[in-house]
Amino acid sequence: MSKRKVKRTAGTIVRVLILAAFLLSAILPLFWIFITSFKGETELYAYPLVYWPKHPTFAAYKRLFSYSNFGQYFLNSLTVTLSSSAVAMVLALMGGFALSRFKRKKMKGIIELLMYFTQTIPSFMIMLPLFMFFSRLKMVDNLPVLATIYVATVVAFCTLMSKSFFDRIPEDLEEAGKIDGCNLAQSIIHVVLPLTLPGIAAIFCFAFVNIWNELFIAVMMINKATKYTVPVALNSFISKAGVSWDLMSAGIVVSLLPTMVVFGVGQKYIVAGLTDGGVKG
Amino acid sequence: MKKDKWYLLMILPAIAFICFFIFYPLFKGGLMAFQNYSLFNLKDIRFIGLENIKAILFSKAVSFRLILLNTVKWLVLSLVFQFLLGFTLALLLRKPFKGRSVYCGFVFYPWALCGFAIGLIWSWLFNGQLGVINDLLMKVGLIKENIGWLSNPKIAMYSVVIANVWYGIPYFGIMLLAALQSVPNELYESATIDGSNKIQQLFYVTIPYIKPTIVSTVLLRSMWIVNFPDLIYGMTNGGPVNSTHILGTMMINKVYKEFDYGQGSAYGVIIMGLLLIYAVIYLRITRSSEGDM
Repeated sequence: MSKRKVKRTAGTIVRVLILAAFLLSAILPLFWIFITSFKGETELYAYPLVYWPKHPTFAAYKRLFSYSNFGQYFLNSLTVTLSSSAVAMVLALMGGFALSRFKRKKMKGIIELLMYFTQTIPSFMIMLPLFMFFSRLKMVDNLPVLATIYVATVVAFCTLMSKSFFDRIPEDLEEAGKIDGCNLAQSIIHVVLPLTLPGIAAIFCFAFVNIWNELFIAVMMINKATKYTVPVALNSFISKAGVSWDLMSAGIVVSLLPTMVVFGVGQKYIVAGLTDGGVKG
Repeated sequence: MKKDKWYLLMILPAIAFICFFIFYPLFKGGLMAFQNYSLFNLKDIRFIGLENIKAILFSKAVSFRLILLNTVKWLVLSLVFQFLLGFTLALLLRKPFKGRSVYCGFVFYPWALCGFAIGLIWSWLFNGQLGVINDLLMKVGLIKENIGWLSNPKIAMYSVVIANVWYGIPYFGIMLLAALQSVPNELYESATIDGSNKIQQLFYVTIPYIKPTIVSTVLLRSMWIVNFPDLIYGMTNGGPVNSTHILGTMMINKVYKEFDYGQGSAYGVIIMGLLLIYAVIYLRITRSSEGDM
């Protein structure tokens, strides 16, 4: 009896230790960037390394928002990301519902396959023709254009996610709504939608995170500094002379905040949503 | 059947977006791969057959074999360790404990990060003189002199893979944890009564039950890893001496540095072709092993 108990406690200790190791390795890299962003220039390049800044300073952040106009980039990113995530979410909800309820199996299968197929396409493959197309129309450096492209890049996977959510809701529910005198649209809004709220949250979060983080298409489509998105701005901090790490680390920390908020609030739903989207491959 | 008309109408906007902004440019990009399409000679663009692909395959500047080998290394090493560590994490999280969801919030957060930013973060950690990793290893006494994590061509690929593994653990953790929680407890109970131990249960109960999740997540992840040059771009951009160049980063440089859209697209065609072959073989293997069970 006591032997078994010892074994069990030992097991628990090992489990806690491994979990702690995972946690530390997940957090420490971000923590180090956070620390770096508060070092002054002397401490930043000091040797031996300064682990805990003796003179913490906001200088890098001040420079970030004044000299390099990061506030504007942040606002650009936020506008683009929020609007395209919202549009993608609505399209994915409609499309996913339809895909889930389709009767014609063959058509359903083809559409689904095409949506999975989009996942194999490198973004460079599509952005060159898009760039040529929009530059002919004199529509580069145009944030709404960028947002429109972003809708397309996430909508396929979002639709697949939303389809598997609707798969879980029995069709009888809509029928029940119909008997109560609702038409299809009403029964979707009053009966089906409330049940899929977690799914809606998950789709929005997935779109938000992916669009907020996108670099290459934005670099291609945006040249004017006033239209930069956050990743493009970070990219511009790399010069031939190298990276100025105080500015860069401050920029990275600020760039992490929105996805941190979205992930913090929506984590539960994202976890449920991603798994639903992926499990039924 | 009657309703299908309405359903088609509902999915049409999504399909329209995909057609206009993904499939149409994909078609144009596919054509570009066979043209001498460069920003320097926009006046004289014509079809040149397989010249771009040939130029890539037989390049004297950067050997295609090296790039292909690097891509395979990048894919296989990243995938194996992302999966094994993510699976371990999921197994440890299966039984609920106090504060589990907060713990998950922290440990899964790297999933939501920007690949390019992760590259930058890790290039700072791996920095030769000022990097915290060298400094810590030195303090612990594991190394005597600084390791050139990103400057030594023999090591650089492993360094970028480490960063990619760090980024990918949460994805498998999230997916497999959810799958594990769908395994009915009765299965474990009856396995225990049959006298099987924990490790036997893992291989004969858990893994067979969540196999569909494993199959689909590994396939999707493989495609994402190959199409994920963002991290390498932020860390080494292919260097030193091409030791971390994969197909994706070659494509970036063809486009951003040389403005050679033709060869850039040709890289894209090669990537997609290889991924398609990979997917077909992968699905055939996983399907046939399903038949054995």
